[in-house]
Amino acid sequence: MNSRLYKAIGWLTLLVILCLVPLFMKQNYVLHVLITIGVGVVLANSLRFVFLTGQLSLGHGAMVSLGAYFSSLTVMNLGLSFWLALPLAGVFAMIVSFFTGYLFTRLKGFYFAMVTMFLTMVVQLVAEQWRGLTGGVGGLTNIPPPNAIGALGFDSKADFYYLMLAIAVISLLIMYLLEFSRLGLTLTSVRDSEALAASVGVNTRFYKVLAFGLGGFFAGVVGSFYCHYYSAVSPSSFTFMLSIDVLVFMVVGGRHRFVGPILGAVVLTVIPELGRGMKEYEPFIYAAVLLLIIVFLPRGLISLPEQVRILLRRGTSPSERAASAITRGSHRA
Amino acid sequence: MYVQDLLNGLTSAGIYILIALGLTLILGIVGIVQMAHGEMYMVGAYVVYLFSMSMGLPYFAALVISIILVGCLGIVVERLFLRRFRGDVEGAIICTTAFILVLQTAVKGIAGPSYKDIASPVEGVVEVFGARLSWEEIVIILVSAVLVVALLVSIKWTKPGQAMMAISEDLVGATLQGINVDRLSSIAMFIGCGLAAAAGGLIGATFSLEPFMGGFALTQGITVIILGGLGSVPGAIIGGLILGLIDGLLTPQVSPTIASIVGLVIVILILLFRPKGLLGYE
Repeated sequence: MNSRLYKAIGWLTLLVILCLVPLFMKQNYVLHVLITIGVGVVLANSLRFVFLTGQLSLGHGAMVSLGAYFSSLTVMNLGLSFWLALPLAGVFAMIVSFFTGYLFTRLKGFYFAMVTMFLTMVVQLVAEQWRGLTGGVGGLTNIPPPNAIGALGFDSKADFYYLMLAIAVISLLIMYLLEFSRLGLTLTSVRDSEALAASVGVNTRFYKVLAFGLGGFFAGVVGSFYCHYYSAVSPSSFTFMLSIDVLVFMVVGGRHRFVGPILGAVVLTVIPELGRGMKEYEPFIYAAVLLLIIVFLPRGLISLPEQVRILLRRGTSPSERAASAITRGSHRA
Repeated sequence: MYVQDLLNGLTSAGIYILIALGLTLILGIVGIVQMAHGEMYMVGAYVVYLFSMSMGLPYFAALVISIILVGCLGIVVERLFLRRFRGDVEGAIICTTAFILVLQTAVKGIAGPSYKDIASPVEGVVEVFGARLSWEEIVIILVSAVLVVALLVSIKWTKPGQAMMAISEDLVGATLQGINVDRLSSIAMFIGCGLAAAAGGLIGATFSLEPFMGGFALTQGITVIILGGLGSVPGAIIGGLILGLIDGLLTPQVSPTIASIVGLVIVILILLFRPKGLLGYE
C-alpha cells in the first residue's frame, strides 16, 4: 500500500513539473518536442491497449488519419467547434474501428497485423484519391486553431502544450483505470489463452473488437489534435510507417508494462533530436539504439533495472538466480 | 489492346513473384517478418548499377554478382540478428525496421539521393499478337520465369529444398528428424535476398533507382504472400500473378491509385473468407 502511495506522489510531482515547464522553458523548440512526445505517448499506449488482447495492430495510422480528416472537415465545412470535434473525431475513429475490428478479428497474429496495415494504406490512398473532400495529395491547409477557451487563446505553443498535456493525462488515466479493472483482466485473459477464456464464458471476439475500438478512439483524438496543431493535414502525414513508429515506441519501451510505451515514446523522440547534429547519418543512431535495445533488452527499456540486477547477481549460486527468476516471472507476465 | 495490358501485367507479376517468394521463404523457414526485404531489393538494384554502369561489366554478369552479394548480406544479417527473433513478430519487425534505416541511409550516403538509371541490356521492341513489347519486359518475364522454375525444381528435387518444406510445415518435427534448422535458415535467407536482388536488378533496367524504392516492393510483396497464404510457395506465385494482372489490366482503365485501392480491398475480402490466404494451411 505504501509503495502505491509513493508511486502516486511521484506521478503527481511529475505532473506538476510538466505543468510548470512552459513557465521556465520559453523556447518553442522544447515545447514542440514535448508536444511530439505527448502525441507518441498517447498513440503508443493506445496501441498497447489493443495489444492487451494479444492483437498486434498496424492500423493506428488509419485511425489517426480518420480522426484528423474528420475533425478538420467538420470544423472547416460545418463550422463545428473544435471542442466538440475533438471527442467526435475519437468517436468516429472508434466506430470505424468497431466495424473493421468486427471484420478483422477473425484473423490471427501476423494476418491481423498485415490486414490492419492494409487498412492504413487504403485510408491513405482514398485520401489521395477523393480530391473533392480531402484535397488530394496536397491535403487540407489553413485548419483553424482551437477556439479560445479561458486563458488559452491558442496563439502560442504553450497553449497547445497544455492541451496536449490534458489529452495525454486524461487518456492515460482512462487507459490505466480500464487496464487495472475487471475489463483489463478479461482482455489479458483473451491474450494469455483465448480458448480457456472462451471456455469460461468470455465472448473473446467481443472483447477483441472492444479493445481495438477503444484504442482507435484515442488515436482519433490524437489525429484531431494533430491537424489543428500543425494547421494542415495530408495523406503523407499518416503512412503505415506511423503505425510502425508507434509499434517501435511500444516494444522498445516495454510492451508488458503500462509505463513501457511512455518510456519508449520519450526516449525514441528525444534521441533523433539529439542526433540532429549528425544530419543525414542521424538514422544510424536511431537504428543502432533500436538494435541494441531489441537484442539486449527484448522486454524493453523498462526491464533495464531488472537486467542490471541479474547481471550484478551473477556471483550468487544458480539456485538463487533460478528462484529470483521465478519470482520475477510470476510478478508480472 | 488487352494483350498489351496482359503482358504488362505479366511483367509486374514476374517482379512481384520474385519479391514474394523471398519473403515467404524467409517467413516460413527463418520464421521472421522481413520488413527490410524491400531494402534488399533496393541494394540489389544498386549493386547491379555499380557493376554494370560504373565498372562496365555486362548487365547479366552484374545481375549474377548482385544476387550472390546480396544473398551473402542476407546470410550475415540472419547469422548476427534475425536468428534470435524466430517467432517473435514484434521483435522481428523492430529489428528489421532498424535495417531499413541503416540500408537506406548507407545507400543514400554512398550513392547520393539522386535518381540513377541502368542502361537496358537489350534495346528495341517486338510485336507479339499485335502488342508492342519492349525487350526489357521480355527479359523480366523470362528471367523471373527461369528463377521461379529453378527454385521450384530445387525445392522439389534436392535434399535441402525438401528440408525447407519440412521446416515450414512443422519446425519441431523437422528438428526431431535431424534437420539443421540454423543452416537451412541461412540458405533460405541467401535464396530470399538473392531473389529480391534479382527483382531489383531487373526493375532497374526499366525504372530509375532511388534509395527509397524498397517501400513499394515490401508492400507489394506482403500483399502477395498474404493473398497466397503465408509460407506457401505456390501461393506466392498465384498471388503474384493475381496482383500483377490487377495492376496490368486495371491501371490503364482507372488511375494507379484506384488500382491499388482495388487490389488491397480484394486482398482484405479474400482474407475475410479464407483467413489463411488462398493456399495457406493451419
